[in-house]
Amino acid sequence: MASLRYESQTREPLVTGSKTYHQVTEDIIRPIETKPSTLWKVGFTISVIFLLFGVYSVYREVAYGIGEWNLNKTIGWGWDITNFVWWVGIGHAGTLISAILLLFRQGWRTGVNRAAEAMTIFAVMCAGQFPIFHMGRVWMAFFVLPYPNSRGPLWVNFNSPLLWDVFAISTYFTVSLLFWYSGLIPDLATVRDRAKVKWRKHMYGVLAFGWTGSTKHWQRHEALSLVLAGLSTPLVLSVHTIVSFDFATSVIPGWHTTIFPPYFVAGAIFSGFAMVQTLLIITRKVLDLEDYITMEHIEVMNKVIVLTGSIVGIAYITELFISWYGQNTYEIAAFRNRWDLSTPYGWAYWLMMSCNVIAPQFFWFRKLRRNLLFTFFMSIIVNVGMWFERFVIIVTSIYRDYIPSSWSTYYAPTVWEVGFYMGTFGLFFTCFFLFSKYFPVIAVAEIKHILKKNGESYKADMGEEEKSTVEHFAHEHAHAH
Amino acid sequence: MEQKKYWQSFGELNNSEAFQKGAQDEFKEDLPFENFDAQSLDAKTPRRDFLKYVGFSTAAAAVAASCEMPVKKAIPFVNRPADVVPGVANYYATTYLSGGDAIPVLAKVRDGRPIKIEGNELSTWTKGGTTAQVQASVLDLYDTARLRFPMADGKEVSTFEAFDKMVGTALSGLGGAPVVLLTSTVNSPSGKQVISEFLAKYPGSRHVQYDAISYSGLLLANEASYGQRAIPSYQFDKAKVIVNLGADFLGTWLNPVEFQRGYTQGRKVDPANPAMSKHYQFESMMSMTGANADERFTHRPSETGVVAAALLSAVNGQSVTGINGDKLRKGIEKAAKDLVANKGNALVVSGSNDVSVQIIVNAINEAVGANGTTINWGVTHRNKAGIDAEMATLVNDMNNGSIGAVILYDVNPAYDYFDAEKFKSGLKKVRVSVSLNEKMDETTELCKYVLPANHYLESWGDAEHKSGYISLVQPTIAPLFKTRQWQETLLKWSGNTASYMDYHKNFWTSKLGSEDTFLKALQDGVIEPTTPAAGSASYNGGAVAAASAAVGAGGTAKRAGYELVIYQKAGLADGRHANNPWLQEMPDPITRATWDNYVMMSPHLGKELFKIDLKNNTQSDKYEAFPEKPVVKLKVGNKEVEMPVLLIPGMQNETMAIAVGYGRSEKVGKAAANVGKNAYQFASSNGTTVIFHANANVEATGTTYKIATTQTHSSYEGRHEVVKEMTLAEYIKNPKKVLEARAKELEPWGGLENYAKDGTIYPVFDKPGIKWGMSIDMNACYGCGACVVACTAENNVSVVGKSEVLRAHDMHWLRIDRYFAGDAYDPESIQTVFQPMLCQHCDNAPCENVCPVAATNHSSEGLNQMTYNRCIGTRYCANNCPYKVRRFNWADYTGADSFKNNQDEANDVILMMNDDLTRMVLNPDVTVRSRGVIEKCSFCVQRLQEGKLKAKKEDRPLVDSDARTACQQACAADAIVFGNVNNSQSAVSKTRHDNMNRLFYSLEQIHVLPNVNYLAKVRNTDVVSAHVEHQEPGHESHQQAPKEPAAH
Repeated sequence: MASLRYESQTREPLVTGSKTYHQVTEDIIRPIETKPSTLWKVGFTISVIFLLFGVYSVYREVAYGIGEWNLNKTIGWGWDITNFVWWVGIGHAGTLISAILLLFRQGWRTGVNRAAEAMTIFAVMCAGQFPIFHMGRVWMAFFVLPYPNSRGPLWVNFNSPLLWDVFAISTYFTVSLLFWYSGLIPDLATVRDRAKVKWRKHMYGVLAFGWTGSTKHWQRHEALSLVLAGLSTPLVLSVHTIVSFDFATSVIPGWHTTIFPPYFVAGAIFSGFAMVQTLLIITRKVLDLEDYITMEHIEVMNKVIVLTGSIVGIAYITELFISWYGQNTYEIAAFRNRWDLSTPYGWAYWLMMSCNVIAPQFFWFRKLRRNLLFTFFMSIIVNVGMWFERFVIIVTSIYRDYIPSSWSTYYAPTVWEVGFYMGTFGLFFTCFFLFSKYFPVIAVAEIKHILKKNGESYKADMGEEEKSTVEHFAHEHAHAH
Repeated sequence: MEQKKYWQSFGELNNSEAFQKGAQDEFKEDLPFENFDAQSLDAKTPRRDFLKYVGFSTAAAAVAASCEMPVKKAIPFVNRPADVVPGVANYYATTYLSGGDAIPVLAKVRDGRPIKIEGNELSTWTKGGTTAQVQASVLDLYDTARLRFPMADGKEVSTFEAFDKMVGTALSGLGGAPVVLLTSTVNSPSGKQVISEFLAKYPGSRHVQYDAISYSGLLLANEASYGQRAIPSYQFDKAKVIVNLGADFLGTWLNPVEFQRGYTQGRKVDPANPAMSKHYQFESMMSMTGANADERFTHRPSETGVVAAALLSAVNGQSVTGINGDKLRKGIEKAAKDLVANKGNALVVSGSNDVSVQIIVNAINEAVGANGTTINWGVTHRNKAGIDAEMATLVNDMNNGSIGAVILYDVNPAYDYFDAEKFKSGLKKVRVSVSLNEKMDETTELCKYVLPANHYLESWGDAEHKSGYISLVQPTIAPLFKTRQWQETLLKWSGNTASYMDYHKNFWTSKLGSEDTFLKALQDGVIEPTTPAAGSASYNGGAVAAASAAVGAGGTAKRAGYELVIYQKAGLADGRHANNPWLQEMPDPITRATWDNYVMMSPHLGKELFKIDLKNNTQSDKYEAFPEKPVVKLKVGNKEVEMPVLLIPGMQNETMAIAVGYGRSEKVGKAAANVGKNAYQFASSNGTTVIFHANANVEATGTTYKIATTQTHSSYEGRHEVVKEMTLAEYIKNPKKVLEARAKELEPWGGLENYAKDGTIYPVFDKPGIKWGMSIDMNACYGCGACVVACTAENNVSVVGKSEVLRAHDMHWLRIDRYFAGDAYDPESIQTVFQPMLCQHCDNAPCENVCPVAATNHSSEGLNQMTYNRCIGTRYCANNCPYKVRRFNWADYTGADSFKNNQDEANDVILMMNDDLTRMVLNPDVTVRSRGVIEKCSFCVQRLQEGKLKAKKEDRPLVDSDARTACQQACAADAIVFGNVNNSQSAVSKTRHDNMNRLFYSLEQIHVLPNVNYLAKVRNTDVVSAHVEHQEPGHESHQQAPKEPAAH
């Protein structure tokens, strides 16, 4: 029986449940206006405890010295810089989603971009802790800033990749924050307008920068979004490229590798998407947002994961190939210290390989891509793998380099080293919990744009006539004449 | 004169009561408070308090925000002492004294404090060479554990007079029982006179000399063979063939400073006429000297005599019998053949303390014509004279109760005598026991009266290390504590009222003829014969047959079980300096271990006991990567001890070795306490002399113990860019072997000529003026570690203690990398390389461009310099240093931190080094680094600066002697040459030019352009083990990698 209307079957709805505009606003803003759930309270408390432990760990390190960690004369960087690179990488998915996908007009991004951008900002905040507190004299950290000073013609060293990091990370943080916040303004205005409590009206009123929703405002808002997206796009590629220069420009075999920039960027997006998955699978459950963050979103992101995971895998294999092909004694030895399971850190390399290269291949199966539990599990696996990738690069390269007399003893972290890492988890989730309570976790204004990309909501509101078939219609109207 | 007084009011003029009251108030009139509400008037913080708080908090914030530490103590001189210019060091010639050893030195005195010991270059037999102990001795002066006053029964005696009276009364009340003066070897001419005067006062008394590491076997053998109870001079410089039966003559045996100098003459390769001495080593353990041998053969320690006897018969053209093992037999035959072929240029030495062995060695030396050529009887060693039998008699007498009093100086038999228990029980039976030792030790602890002696830097004196070669001792600082030197004490007790200073002066003035000559000698520090005496001794071979029989020569019985050797480490030696943290932290040349003694064991035995196969990658990695080493239970006779094990290639397969000098009593000091076990207990007596080896049983306990080593991996993995070596034959065949290899390697990047320019895309700068450079001859580095301690002393390098070394937080700016090559299970195949490694001061330094704040940069003179107060501690430079020479201050090791009281977690040793007394040793010219910054070798920039200023003041160009680094100064073998490479006449330029063929830069291919070069090691052997395929213990797979072409 032919229908009276034409229905496209190519796309799934981006928002399910046939929402009206009002319902969208209700669903997303409501959690801000109600009391936090027990689950939220428990999660927040745990996060704060982690954060406090991290603060104490850092206190010890600052007060007693880097000797609180198990780094040594051969291994100058260990967990600290591993964690730094890992956190920076995490952030990348947010920027990719908000900037590149915006430019490519990927409608599905609206369901996840707000949370992903927030994740970026918090991840960069966490990442920033490590290069700051890995300094032996953190109270002199301001020496890295190039400002006119009274110490003679003393200036920073523009040759140092570590200085490039300072610029890269601070730029990245600034642009990400602006992008995130400018997107928030219309939604903050919505919260303000709905507010029935004085303090909320006041607070969100200030935060909304006097947004009225006039056409002029919208026009400028759209323009700003595009400009910031344009600015952010190169950052997706540049930030991790520069982070990779910390290693690529050095002379240490295993670090001194030209493949690092693309390899690091792919790895960053890989781990970033995994982190987005971890967060959103929890968020949509806790905040009842299954209609907005749908299976479709999860599947799309899983596709990105299998793509970037495979790029990373090719990079690993290329490295091994080149180390053999180059026939450089030191390079061969550096890579043998990774792949050879009999070496002290062989296990870390193979853990990385299985988590990052082998495991994501399961996402070739649609069933697994759309399996929530499996995706959640995989998102954790991928981030474990990516942590080990950075660990393998950093530690297994320097623990046995040129001069065999300096080869190190086995490096394992102290409790304070682990504590610092745990502390950044605390910071990250504390921020994320506050964000999910006080800000709309989905871009309300933006998601309304894509509400009608699909006919489901229209279908829900159809009159009797529209629902009828061609035959019925013909039959009805045949009698009319 | 009356002063005019101005007054403001009548009240003031009349000074009325009301006025006086009013004057107390700040405001004479009521203040207009009506406008204020009551609250602000009654506030808890009134206005003035508020201002106080503001002021205080601003000041506090300013103080807290600034990182300047207040100067704690600064007491200026009221009158400047003569000879002291603040900030300018004085050097005084004096003599390092320790257990008979007397090394002429210069003490560097800065602002009244001796802070550094340098060798005295006027001495013809040391030529300024030193040992690690000599370099470290200045720290002993400031040892916090030093005894600070005389004591009787453990209680302080207020004055020397009171003490003298007490001892005088005690000695006079002995009723004729003999007084025994028990000292280490005394070779002080005036000291000997003092002793004879003292002994004359107490008839029946005697002087016994006791050396913990005894040379009586050698002394008695020489008496039997040459009729002289003396030790001749060994002239290694004249020996073309050296056969060494287990004497560690480069490290600890008899006179290593002189021997290193002599030995070097035969080891440095003259490019014009390439030749080298041939050094055969027969030993049981892996000694530092053995590690430098060309050919090395191992045998059981009990077989030393058999080997010596076999060598004798081989030299005499007879067949070699009674030797277990083909390799050893062939080695003996080969050595004998070389010895005979080089008659008159051959030398055999033995470290054995067995009279019979030494008699046989004398016979060999006679047979090869050493007497009068390589052995000089014209000058004898006077630093070791103790005869074991005399000590044994004394201990027996003490136990019999026939000794009235014992006065000890510089001996510690309760610790280092093989039968310490018997000595202790004897000491209890002696009525009066007096210790004149410098420090509290195991023996002093048991003595009734203690009068601590001065440190040598606080003393007057003289010494005759070698006959005819006098060196004088003069104080460089007033005694820090209530101590008195032993000569003065004995003078007092023998009733002489003269002070020893006057006594000493008169003694030498009368000997030398005039006071001027004496003062000149005092200034020079040494009195030496103008023409060195030379001569031979008449030989009597009568005792040889009996000796051969005694050692069981020709017997063929294969010995079973395990054996143990007791040896001295190059650092701690006999243990008298055990409380010296610099020596404790100096890595052992062979094991690279610090802060412990342990059982050295062959990998073969290790495999048998612990199933650790060093040829298996996984197992060797695990063994190397973790500091936990297996522990064994060792049984020697009825003595049992549990000790950790280090597996050392080159050890004889059934032999274990333990170093003496450890296991000291807690009272000796914080550094020595609880470190290792005492190995002296395993020595024994053969009736005549003390024997330093024993049969032993060993079993694994299954437990582990952490040993702090500074180097974990022992192979250089065939990385010929790091270390280059070749055989002498290869070098003679093609002297340009190394040069050609380098040229080939660098060919694609401009070749040798243009590598600096063409190997980079960056512009290359001219380097005019001074350009500092160093050349290190790997043929002259024996690994002794004198340079390491000298560097520590000169540059205020932190000592971090065992717990930190375990975490690889050691701070040495200069280290000596030691690599083994060969088959781990074949001790004969093991070859050793020592490579001093320090900052290479790269012209294209990878550390410099990665520092975000430019804290490390390049000077116009080619120095890679550290700006400590700019360093923020990212450690990026350390990561990017290919040589791994940069050191980070992981904790507050120096007390120089911006934060106070953060040494809660510091170990005892760090706290000891931070003590006000110990800190007196710090060199004020070198910044003490604070927590959180990187440090590294500076080429002793403070010395370079001083040298440049000196040349400038004298208005002349800089010469080599103006600026010498501490490591260079300390090296007895002159392995290190340093200077301005832009000056073609400087020693370093000449060395580089002359040795162009052997010259290489470590890791040259990465284009860092080091300013330190090495001269490739040449071995007088048939093969270089590291070049033979599949030789690296456990790392075969690395070998398959073809040698890579070049740069990144």
